[in-house]
Amino acid sequence: MSDSVPNEVSVNINGAEVRAKAGEMLIAAADRAGVHIPRFCYHERMSSVGMCRMCLVDVDTGRGPMLQPSCMVPVAEGMSVDTQSEDTKRAQEGILEFLLVNHPLDCPVCDKGGECPLQDQTMAYGPGESRFVEEKRHYEKPIPISDLVHLDRERCILCDRCTRFADEIAGDPLIHFTERGNSTQVLTFPDEPFSSYFSGNTVQICPVGALTAAPYRFKARPWDLDQVESTCTTCSMGCRTAVQSSRNELVRYLGVDIESVNHGWLCDKGRFNFEATNSEERLTVPLIRDPNDERQLLGSDWGSALANAAEAILDAGSDGIGIIGGSRLTNEDAYAWSKLARSIIRTDNLDAQLGDGLPAELVHSLPPATIADACEADTVLVVGPDLKEELAILHLRLRGAATKGHTKVVEINAAPSGCEPYVERAIRCGSGEAAKYLGEILNSDDDLATRLREGSVVAVVGRSSMAESDHSSIAVAALIRDELPHATFLTALRRGNVRGALDMGLAPGVLPGRTAIDNPSSALDDIWGYTPSMKGLDTTGMLQAAAEGKIRTLVLLGADPLSDFPDRNLAAEAIQRAETVISLDNFLTASSAQADIILPTTAYGEQGGTTTNLEGRISRLTQKITPPGSVRDDWMIATELAWRLGGDLNLTSKEQIWREIEQVAPSHAGVTVERIMSEEAREGILVQESSVEYIFPSVQEPPIADGYGLRLISGRKLWDASTTTSMSPSLRPLAEAPVLKVHPTDLQRLGILSGSDVRVISTRSTENLKAVADESLERGTALLPFNQPGFGANRFIDATAAVNDIRIETL
Amino acid sequence: MGYLDGFKVTFKKLFEERVTTEYPKEKRPKPPRFHGRHVLNRYEDGMEKCIGCELCAGVCPAKCIYVRGADNPETEPVSPGERYGYVYEINYLRCIHCDLCVEACPTEAITESKLFEFSFANRSDAIYTKDELVVDDDGQPKRQPWELWHDGDDLATSGWMRATAPSGNPDYQNRVGWSGELGYGVRAPETGQQEKFPELSDLDFLTEDQAEEQH
Repeated sequence: MSDSVPNEVSVNINGAEVRAKAGEMLIAAADRAGVHIPRFCYHERMSSVGMCRMCLVDVDTGRGPMLQPSCMVPVAEGMSVDTQSEDTKRAQEGILEFLLVNHPLDCPVCDKGGECPLQDQTMAYGPGESRFVEEKRHYEKPIPISDLVHLDRERCILCDRCTRFADEIAGDPLIHFTERGNSTQVLTFPDEPFSSYFSGNTVQICPVGALTAAPYRFKARPWDLDQVESTCTTCSMGCRTAVQSSRNELVRYLGVDIESVNHGWLCDKGRFNFEATNSEERLTVPLIRDPNDERQLLGSDWGSALANAAEAILDAGSDGIGIIGGSRLTNEDAYAWSKLARSIIRTDNLDAQLGDGLPAELVHSLPPATIADACEADTVLVVGPDLKEELAILHLRLRGAATKGHTKVVEINAAPSGCEPYVERAIRCGSGEAAKYLGEILNSDDDLATRLREGSVVAVVGRSSMAESDHSSIAVAALIRDELPHATFLTALRRGNVRGALDMGLAPGVLPGRTAIDNPSSALDDIWGYTPSMKGLDTTGMLQAAAEGKIRTLVLLGADPLSDFPDRNLAAEAIQRAETVISLDNFLTASSAQADIILPTTAYGEQGGTTTNLEGRISRLTQKITPPGSVRDDWMIATELAWRLGGDLNLTSKEQIWREIEQVAPSHAGVTVERIMSEEAREGILVQESSVEYIFPSVQEPPIADGYGLRLISGRKLWDASTTTSMSPSLRPLAEAPVLKVHPTDLQRLGILSGSDVRVISTRSTENLKAVADESLERGTALLPFNQPGFGANRFIDATAAVNDIRIETL
Repeated sequence: MGYLDGFKVTFKKLFEERVTTEYPKEKRPKPPRFHGRHVLNRYEDGMEKCIGCELCAGVCPAKCIYVRGADNPETEPVSPGERYGYVYEINYLRCIHCDLCVEACPTEAITESKLFEFSFANRSDAIYTKDELVVDDDGQPKRQPWELWHDGDDLATSGWMRATAPSGNPDYQNRVGWSGELGYGVRAPETGQQEKFPELSDLDFLTEDQAEEQH
């Protein structure tokens, strides 16, 4: 052909010329051309296997038409394809008749019935009648293969989608085909459940009802469901989801395939925590502390609760107030609170992070990368939390890129992580010493050093351990900025909309639109009227001030410092000492249960607005259900408080708030409401500009642990005691009780048997815990998950220390 | 004298057979495919036929049916399969007795009886739940205080013929299309659609005395 393009071929599909990429499978080319070929096993995000034979089509490559599976045949120049020929139809009818030989017709009780590809394709391409009169294959009806997934082997058509997903995508090959011939079946290994963090995806991609999700089991039928597209805010990945409800109750989330973020996958935490929104434990009316009995909370009305809150804020004065939290909020809610705090309360004491993140100025000043950049970079340098536990879908994306050879992942971490199976190199460093190790590598003649210096680098930087201060992460960022100026960054901040909250100025020293407090935009000056000129306190500072009695009123914006702040003692003291604690929350958490005024707020699924993921990608949240009781959006509470404080935020709706954000936030200029409402926002609108500078402080190396101490390392687990997990009945049992992991030699030295209870002593607290030997740890370190049911490592941690050591003793 | 012509008609009718009945004391038999209020049937062993599949609710043009399924309790199963109808409600203020729910039901769980004489004093009574709809331990519909039945009205509550299949199809005439049912056992096969509606004279009427006697 005269207009031929390299790597492109021309194929004739049903009489129309179609341009396709060389090497592309025929079925994918047909999909893009709008020709649907029926299929069961083919999935565009996984490798082709040609298991089901449903995609047989007539392919003519010059030797006459021949039936070929279109998911296994790459396109070739001059290929002529007929997807509607008589032969194709006969093949489709035959395949469906075969599949239905053993597939039970229990569609009325099957959760897939009504949205089942096998049902749909039988209706569309099936023979109508079966000639098979014998008994079908029988297995025990659904067997739970994990706490979240049921398997009905009778319904399985052996398409290999779930097993391929577990192996190729999730990297947890815990389900596989067993036996042969007619009794081939998918099963787990004996006594080993399919306990993958991504097991819910197999339910979504199962083309029949063989895999069903326990939390959705028999909840609704597909035709009851109402659906909107939204973005998950469980962590800061911002996976695109379809939120489905029936009779004003959330019943299911499905992953939506967008190229930039989640590729259609969700982690089980994000997929199943809709149960928390439906929870009976939700707060539905404002509560205030009984003036006659300190231990009692009384149901109240909004008028008096807000009046009390306003009074406490006025009493405390602008220096005596601290606002903690805000990562649960949407961008609009965060903006309203940022505006309330700065222009009306006139304080800069506000922080969306709970001492477990990075300084906002640092986050804003690092040259940004996208997830896609990371997946294509020569090297991804991970110096941060265990991504599998904290940002599960980022782990999945990096794993995919690394296993396909698109990138190489190098990890520097003090403890083993879930990423180790696919990293090129896992460098074990001492807690708080990542920068030192990285420096040594960069200054060595290692191949890695050359690649880092010469190739593209995306650094994923975050807090590796809650038991070390943010100084170690800052040192790593400083070193990379210094030595590898071409490197770009993904900040591994975990909380839902933490990036959006920082962008909206919910952090000391930064204003909406990633500007420093001493450099407000003129539009912001005009609209706000007043901005504090001095940088305020961060969460640690606010809690210290509250504990000293300098901050009299604490506002918790969906924050639970008692569970999430690294230093529980400090948080407890602050909450105790503060005269008034105002909490805006969905639930009575450890902290909000101790508040004096509790204002119930809308939860995920009950609010619209926008959210920003860790890349700075803004996407739209959609309200699906009406909230319970009299709960309100956080921005409404901010405007109500503003009136009671004698001001006016002039905010009337989320849309109007966004218009104001677009005006005052320099980084968000041009991101109009119209763009957010458009199709473009499905992939998210990437905002990367920033005018914030960060001056790296000089950081000292952490002290060397004494011979008796064990350096504490504490990261979060996916299944922990976080509010949404513990309020979801299906997920709550998945969070394990905490155990202290120590190197066997260290245990031996102390004469402690693995599995026995020990006394753990830190400068903060002495507690009894179970200790278990773990050879994968370095000697002299102890690993304790941060927030497990019944016990948080934050009891041991001193937030002001660079690193934390513990000692263990026999009981 | 033209106006007397009208009286002539009246006079003549005095000697003809009466077509009106003393309703509600006397009731005409209802056609076999009469659509009254629903019942939820049970198998001969007492298990409920409903599996909570919601097909009836899905097909209902009046949106008057609300069903929710649930996992069958292992120790005390309600229906034979994995799933049973946990909630079943029909709002009779909305129901138009079109019988599409009966057509849709894959297990013959819901059928329409010949009972139609009920009036409610409040809206909530109009919503029949499983308590009212599921047949009693003898397989008979449960009589509600606001329903007027004469004895025998509740017979053949599940006597029904699908318009589509199987007995609507001549191939299936005289073939048993039923699973065994509490109260009726395996029912006689359907004979297909009748040529025409039976003549009134062919139908039996209950006299006032008979009705009284049966009550």
